[in-house]
Amino acid sequence: MKISDTVVGAGFVTAGALIIAGTLNYPSLEGGHPGPSLFPRILGGMMAAFGGLISLKGLRTGDATQDVEWLLLHKSTGFINAVFVLVGVTAYILFVEKLGFLLMGALLLFVVMWRLKVPPLKALIVAVVFNTIVHFLFAKIMRVPLPLGLVWW
Amino acid sequence: MIDHIWTALVMLSSWNLMLTIAICSLYGLFVGAVPGLTATMAAALLVPFTFFMDPLPALVAIVTMEAMAIFAGDIPAALVRIPGTPSSAAYTDDSYELTKQGKAEMVLGVDVITSAIGGLMGALVLMTAAPLLAEVALKFTSFEYFWLAALGLSATVMIASTDPLKAGLALFVGLFFSTVGLDITLGYPRFTLGTTELLNGVDFIPAMIGLFGVSEILRNMGSSHLQYPITAVKAEKIFSGVAKTLWKYKANMVRSGAIGTFIGILPGAGADIAAWIAYAASKRFSKEPELFGKGAIEPIVDAGTANNACLAGDWVPALVFGIPGDSITAIVIGVLFMKGLRPGPMIFEQQPELVYAVYISFIIANILMVPFGYLAIKASGTALKVPRNILMPTILMFCIVGSFAINNSFFDVGLMLAMGILGYFFENNGIPVAPIVLGMVLGPIVEQNFMVSMIKSEWDLTQFFTRPTAAILGVMTIVTWLAPFTPAMMKRMRGGNASQ
Repeated sequence: MKISDTVVGAGFVTAGALIIAGTLNYPSLEGGHPGPSLFPRILGGMMAAFGGLISLKGLRTGDATQDVEWLLLHKSTGFINAVFVLVGVTAYILFVEKLGFLLMGALLLFVVMWRLKVPPLKALIVAVVFNTIVHFLFAKIMRVPLPLGLVWW
Repeated sequence: MIDHIWTALVMLSSWNLMLTIAICSLYGLFVGAVPGLTATMAAALLVPFTFFMDPLPALVAIVTMEAMAIFAGDIPAALVRIPGTPSSAAYTDDSYELTKQGKAEMVLGVDVITSAIGGLMGALVLMTAAPLLAEVALKFTSFEYFWLAALGLSATVMIASTDPLKAGLALFVGLFFSTVGLDITLGYPRFTLGTTELLNGVDFIPAMIGLFGVSEILRNMGSSHLQYPITAVKAEKIFSGVAKTLWKYKANMVRSGAIGTFIGILPGAGADIAAWIAYAASKRFSKEPELFGKGAIEPIVDAGTANNACLAGDWVPALVFGIPGDSITAIVIGVLFMKGLRPGPMIFEQQPELVYAVYISFIIANILMVPFGYLAIKASGTALKVPRNILMPTILMFCIVGSFAINNSFFDVGLMLAMGILGYFFENNGIPVAPIVLGMVLGPIVEQNFMVSMIKSEWDLTQFFTRPTAAILGVMTIVTWLAPFTPAMMKRMRGGNASQ
């Protein structure tokens, strides 16, 4: 997922400008001195300046060709695996309270391992055993209130 | 002092601390020996467990784990030419070349002994330098603390990175994260996006787990290596001939121990930088520099000593000033705050037994490194055989549960995921992740001391240079900022002189 420095730098210029814009309505200290806005504004300014320099450096070295890699991302196994993990963890956050940690955790483990080409039976056994150990360690020993959901253990 | 040492020894001799040391040693050795898992990631994953520990076992756990992990990183470097942690990268080629020549046992023996010696040298400097610096730090005001933190941040960008512009960007991102939440002057909510969860700021622990754990997992998912072809090692032979080699390079070890500790004391520069600098110094002063990179033992002695010596050095600014020496001590500072302890000179007066216990745990960890290191080398085949496609999902599960465990909040799991994506994107685009952590830790110190100084001095900037120590630190900071421009300026001046 390497993109050109020109684009990365431009992204940071935008981020810096947004940070400064976000502080425009912040209150001042007595005597009109800047208060909560001072530090973020300095940071926003520095971020935009450094981003601009990286963009310029990128333009000078002509690295924009790296953006072509974006068009081939759908063929990259690493990228697809990473997306799989992101979707999996998001689904975990959304459904774990309803289904419970024991079910949802094991499901997430199984799906990710299956995607990484672990044989299904092996993946299932590892997912269930490992997830039960994690549950025991955190919920029973360290008393972390992991969601119970459908499985009351 | 003797009283404090005795109290610390009594505290450390409890069975649960012994068990903590043993478990964390094995954990550190495993993480270090598996390529792709770093000591910083291991520290981040350890934090949810330290949440449930007292301060002393929490600190001892991190000390032991990091010492073991940095050594264990040498094992895959020698056996499969992949450094287990970035700290072993400098001498990976030499180690692997020697392995190809049938000298794997000798390399690993030198690795374990130099790591232990380097670690002990660093611990010695920590024990002597930290209390002395703490005396000085007691006289510091907000001006000195501001400059010291600014110097730490500048060193991170200018010294500890190959691309200062990109490291700077990462640092500003970390500093920006530190501004989220209620501000210190008026208690005004900043960048909270209307959520109550962000009123107390970006939680450090899920952020660390995301930046170092999840991003590492995402990167490993793209790796085609599921298992590595490894060379069989006869562990019982690792110590034969080591004493002779080390005696030959005794001066190198002293020099590299000093380099490593000094680099450690510099805020922001960690064990990997120490190893590279020791390697460069070794080559510069070697009688056989042409052998470097082709299977020389000399750079392994030097860099192997320096990276472990650096670890204790990193704790000096962390304990004395509350300014992290590297990304692991940044996590340590987060743990101390979590435990209600404020690192700084006062900790030496209020909790001396804790400080002494940290010193002693460094010594214990480095002594234990020899037997544990032997066992790790013996079991190295097993560690390298754990398939990545099973290891990575299980680490992911620890990341999720560890992030949740701090506040029992799914918001933190989401935060961890977002930070993981950010870390993955940054690393893929050559932007280092470590400055983000340092920015998050040092941001409040910089802002608080800056605002206090400004209000105290009625917004007179010259007051930042009126106290002698503040002025020296200020000048050092400004010189660090100008460092990248110095070669160009020198060239221009020389050109000007020549034309005259």
